Amino acid sequence: MKTFSAIVLSFALAAAGAWAQAPGPVVKAKVTMAAGVARPDSIVKAAVVAEVLPGYHINDHHPTLDYLIPTEVKLEPSPQVTKNDITYPKGELKKFAFSDTPLSVYEGEVRFDVALQLEHKTLPGDYEVKGQLAYQACNDHACLPPAKVPLLFSFKVVRRGASVKRSE
Amino acid sequence: MDLIEPERPAEDGKEAPPEASVKATRVPRRGRVLIGAVLAIVLVSGLYLINRYWISPALMTQAMGSGDHPDAPPISLTDIEGKRLDLADYKGKVVVLDFWATWCGPCREEIPGFTVMQDRYASQGFSVIGISMDDEPGPVVEFYKEFKMNYPVAVGNQRIGELYGGIFGLPTTFLIGRDGRIYAKHTGGINPAIIASEVEELLAMSPTAEKTDFKPAMVAGTATKIELGDPAAIDSEIPGLNLSKLTAAQKEDLKKLLSEQHCPCGCNYTLLKCRQVDRACPVSLKLAKEQMEKILKPGARTTSTGKSGDRGTG
Repeated sequence: MKTFSAIVLSFALAAAGAWAQAPGPVVKAKVTMAAGVARPDSIVKAAVVAEVLPGYHINDHHPTLDYLIPTEVKLEPSPQVTKNDITYPKGELKKFAFSDTPLSVYEGEVRFDVALQLEHKTLPGDYEVKGQLAYQACNDHACLPPAKVPLLFSFKVVRRGASVKRSE
Repeated sequence: MDLIEPERPAEDGKEAPPEASVKATRVPRRGRVLIGAVLAIVLVSGLYLINRYWISPALMTQAMGSGDHPDAPPISLTDIEGKRLDLADYKGKVVVLDFWATWCGPCREEIPGFTVMQDRYASQGFSVIGISMDDEPGPVVEFYKEFKMNYPVAVGNQRIGELYGGIFGLPTTFLIGRDGRIYAKHTGGINPAIIASEVEELLAMSPTAEKTDFKPAMVAGTATKIELGDPAAIDSEIPGLNLSKLTAAQKEDLKKLLSEQHCPCGCNYTLLKCRQVDRACPVSLKLAKEQMEKILKPGARTTSTGKSGDRGTG
């Protein structure tokens, strides 16, 4: 009886959720920094983990068709960072009602790896680099305007010779 | 489920042994789960069908049959061919007003159907008008040529989107009657045959009398009530806020308050600046409205003298 009730309830809740309006942004994102501190001239690693609302998709960083807006992690220039590398995952090919061509898209949880090359003269201290995850989302029959999620990469730099843990 | 059979006396009159007095027929666990799942699917499907074919159409009739067809807000733009595009010039015609963008797949899928409609119905007093929500006209011009669009297209802006109630998904299609009223709003790609049937019904209407019995096709994305933006809030010096109820002193107080608080949306601006540069920001809009409501509360004190000239914009 308990199992039966659980199944009925779960279906009813799922249906109610589907009919309700999408609550807030379609994409949420958070930054996870690699544990530990960094030395000047080292690489600070981080990950941007995005959650795309079920029923929606965002385009691959290399979109299938020219007119599609790519998903992109953008970082603001920072005196402490000389270079940044973003690793984008490969999207999943999916067929949608509005396109004859299957499109490479991101759905559900998506991870983007970020590597920040620190400037060799960076002084010890706490630093923040701002950025944003830029995307454009659609479901199977409508598209939302391009949007951005603000990101913040926070890290601590220690002097050369100090011990560090798992930052590089 | 256990089926308990009642105790029956043994056929030879002797009392049946205790362990045989109750016979339980148990439905296997897997079977119970399957029955539960099937019942759940039937329940949900039933609820969906009731909503789709009974509740929603009833609401639809209630909302739209009562004369709730607002006047289409004015649009005055320059189209991509450099000509003036004024919605007022189309009074007396049925208009399909299509908000779209070149990066929108469902929009691109729908537009060829609109060019067919333009050819078919133009002689009866009909036009499609395309409002592109692209940031730049360049891609729109290329698209216009590639898709051989045969109706006026202009690049829209945030203000027009807000006047039309906010364009939250593309494509968004409005049907405007000969009387200049909006009769339907569809969000998302829609079968051109459905729009065509609505257009044909509106083409038959009088240009002066409201067609109160018009019922738009009830498909996914059809609005049950057409809500438009408040021009006083849209054109306000603090975009999104209708300041007409505030005194001059209260307005100054409000601007000061909004200049002193930063918007938590991540923009680095004060609330006032964020409203001015990013009118779409829901965070600053909500917070600014809350501040305005505090000022409007009876008994709230004003600190400003109400002199004009706002120096601080964040």
